[in-house]
Amino acid sequence: MQALKNGDLSIDVATAEGPPRIEFTWRGKSNDRYPGRVLGPFFSDALAAATKDARLIELRFDALEHFNSSTVGALIDLIQRARESKVRLVIGYDASLGWQRLSFDALKVFDRGDGLFELRPSAKAGGAV
Amino acid sequence: MSTYRFSIDVPVENRWDNVERVRLAVQHCFEAVFRDVTGRDAVAMVTGELLENAIKYGDWYSGHGIFRLRVWGDERRSAVAVTNPVARSSTGPDRVREALAFIAAQPNALSAYQARLVSVAAGGGQGGLGLVRVAYEGGCKLSVGFADDELTVTAERDQPAVDLSHGAPLHA
Repeated sequence: MQALKNGDLSIDVATAEGPPRIEFTWRGKSNDRYPGRVLGPFFSDALAAATKDARLIELRFDALEHFNSSTVGALIDLIQRARESKVRLVIGYDASLGWQRLSFDALKVFDRGDGLFELRPSAKAGGAV
Repeated sequence: MSTYRFSIDVPVENRWDNVERVRLAVQHCFEAVFRDVTGRDAVAMVTGELLENAIKYGDWYSGHGIFRLRVWGDERRSAVAVTNPVARSSTGPDRVREALAFIAAQPNALSAYQARLVSVAAGGGQGGLGLVRVAYEGGCKLSVGFADDELTVTAERDQPAVDLSHGAPLHA
């Protein structure tokens, strides 16, 4: 699966083991007027690849500078679709940044305790899943 | 007059790429005065969300395609206001008032934001999500005014314990 570059946003893609996962590292700013138009198909590919290879998806936001509320909407769509596809989704973020802590802590509302969705406040270097 | 009193008042052309330009400018201005990173990011986010709303929902079929941004405050509080034209028949002012009433009806801003997230997940559309984010993540009190076919949304926030760049004591 290829990296995404759209305006001020880039998302690098890498596979890793222990456990098997696809890591998506967000950088820059997600400030498109219609981010779902680009992120939606990108997430579809991500879910297809994760399902095919039995990997979880890890989104890393530590290096992201800013996103708009439309991006939050696109993320909610991914959370829903990952759950429907039974793909485990992990969201990592830098809790030392106020905006990231507030934005991502609020997503706890989607944690149903089924192990399919996990929020992981982390140090910037990240760690093994 | 406070040493740290600041004011920005600019007309903005309704181009989407201006959102990031102006958001960054506000962020940098705030950074030039205060070392409060969280406050800087919050004011910048609030600016971005209100600018986006103005461009999305403003009436751009008449006039010069210009709306107005004002940012002001001091070391204790700050405010962001965006004024944009709206059509006389527009439901925009009512939609903003509904969003503010929704926020006010929740126990707190976090509850309001999470309720809105759940609504988006249920297919309720993303309208109003930016305003609820301003209230929650920006820690802002929102108000709306409508006069002379112009809508003004104002977001005001306290700046707790602002860290001043010139070594002044922190406010409790």
